[in-house]
Amino acid sequence: MNRIWAIIENTFKESLRQKILLLLVIFSILLIVVSIFLEPFALGEAPRILRDFSLAVSALFGVLVVIIIGSTLIHKDIEKRTIYTVITKPVRRSEIIIGKFLGLLLLIIILVCSMAVIQQLVIFFYEGSFDFSLLIAIPFLILEIMILLGILLLFSSFSSPALSAMMGIIFFIIGHASPDLKLFADQVKIPAMKYLAYGFYYIMPNLENFNLRIDLVHKLPLYPDQLLFSICYGLIYTIFLVYLAIIIFEKREFK
Amino acid sequence: MDMAIELENICRSFKNHFWQNKKQVLKDVSLEIYKGEIFGFLGPNGAGKTTTIKIITGLIRPDSGSIEIFGHPANALKVKKRIGFLPESPYFYEHLTGYEFLKISALLSNQKNYKSGILGLLEKVGLKHAVRLQLRKYSRGMLQRIGIAQALVAEPELLILDEPLTGLDPIGRKEIKDIILEQKAKGNTVFFSSHILPDAEAVCDRIGIIIDGQIIKVGELNKLLRKGLKTDEISLEDWFVKQIKRNE
Repeated sequence: MNRIWAIIENTFKESLRQKILLLLVIFSILLIVVSIFLEPFALGEAPRILRDFSLAVSALFGVLVVIIIGSTLIHKDIEKRTIYTVITKPVRRSEIIIGKFLGLLLLIIILVCSMAVIQQLVIFFYEGSFDFSLLIAIPFLILEIMILLGILLLFSSFSSPALSAMMGIIFFIIGHASPDLKLFADQVKIPAMKYLAYGFYYIMPNLENFNLRIDLVHKLPLYPDQLLFSICYGLIYTIFLVYLAIIIFEKREFK
Repeated sequence: MDMAIELENICRSFKNHFWQNKKQVLKDVSLEIYKGEIFGFLGPNGAGKTTTIKIITGLIRPDSGSIEIFGHPANALKVKKRIGFLPESPYFYEHLTGYEFLKISALLSNQKNYKSGILGLLEKVGLKHAVRLQLRKYSRGMLQRIGIAQALVAEPELLILDEPLTGLDPIGRKEIKDIILEQKAKGNTVFFSSHILPDAEAVCDRIGIIIDGQIIKVGELNKLLRKGLKTDEISLEDWFVKQIKRNE
């Protein structure tokens, strides 16, 4: 456990010191604050726009950070040869992957939670009361980010940062288009296209499972069995991706 | 005699690009390093020293042949616990301070009570003044010293050093040589590669010479030097050049 903790701590500190994080925090705060000034143009819809906007910005912020840092997570260590002194210690390669995953995840959790605090403060400042119902979006956003982090870690364990980042973006876009993909697969008449669309639908993660924005903003009811399914889906998918990353990393050589 | 490292018929080839032919970097390398000795692994640039060391430390795998450390497979965790390794031209996490880096190294090596050990190590390698300095601000010589410190953090029985004296000033080289000799005095084994022959001559019990991926000589330093000439006096440098020319 000490060994994994050492890698978690190092990954967390390394990611934290990247200035890009600071820029993104400032960017996000600015966006939320700017949303307050929408009121005169919002025709009474300002509270809803504010919630929608702040949830969307939090999600975008989390996804951007995970793609920017996650795509270089393993590659940088190999490129800079810092991996040499880690891998030759009595540490399992699986511990390195798990430590890197948890280190960046810890940073993302802290950032997403900080965003939620800012969001609540903005709502309080704007409406005079908090809206804690929005907080349920946090664990689901984290689950979505966990899947993306798993994808980035997987590609980062054998390919370049550019390819890893590109795959992260592709998975993110297709993952959110999953219901449309299903609809397309159901309706398309050409068999080859149908199988291809179904193939994509079943292989690619359905990230819409974790998108509660519309439900929360419009105060729609949330169903516990659906939420439980999303949690299990997110955890199983992430574990599978991390496991694949470990298998690839175990076979890797460091020339 | 007990073995620390045993390489048997190691072969390894690389190709830089998929359209290129494979180049054999190690050709049937066999080597035995005894427990408690200081072994100098010498050879010109590109001879295969670093590749051999990477195979010993598990960074790469041989195409064929076997490797054992202390009688066990080299990649076993229980073996890694007994090894300290300094890579060639080491790169470390620049955002960490010297103390933080050694703390992580200690934790990765399962050391729980590391605090006093780390401070002692930093003093030993002459970096006590740089405890709180980020590694990005370290000079080349300081990085080499912190590299030696991280290799020693778990008090290893086998120290593997790839070009440990490179980038150090005469005082630094003397200090590292003293550390190597101190390890031997403790009964530990040191395996190191070097280009700096007079330094190797000063500390080694035995040396091995690799040229073009093949081991051409292994033996006790004094005996090898005496065998090479009719007179008793010859420097390692002269002898080394002679061996290389003979193999050209």
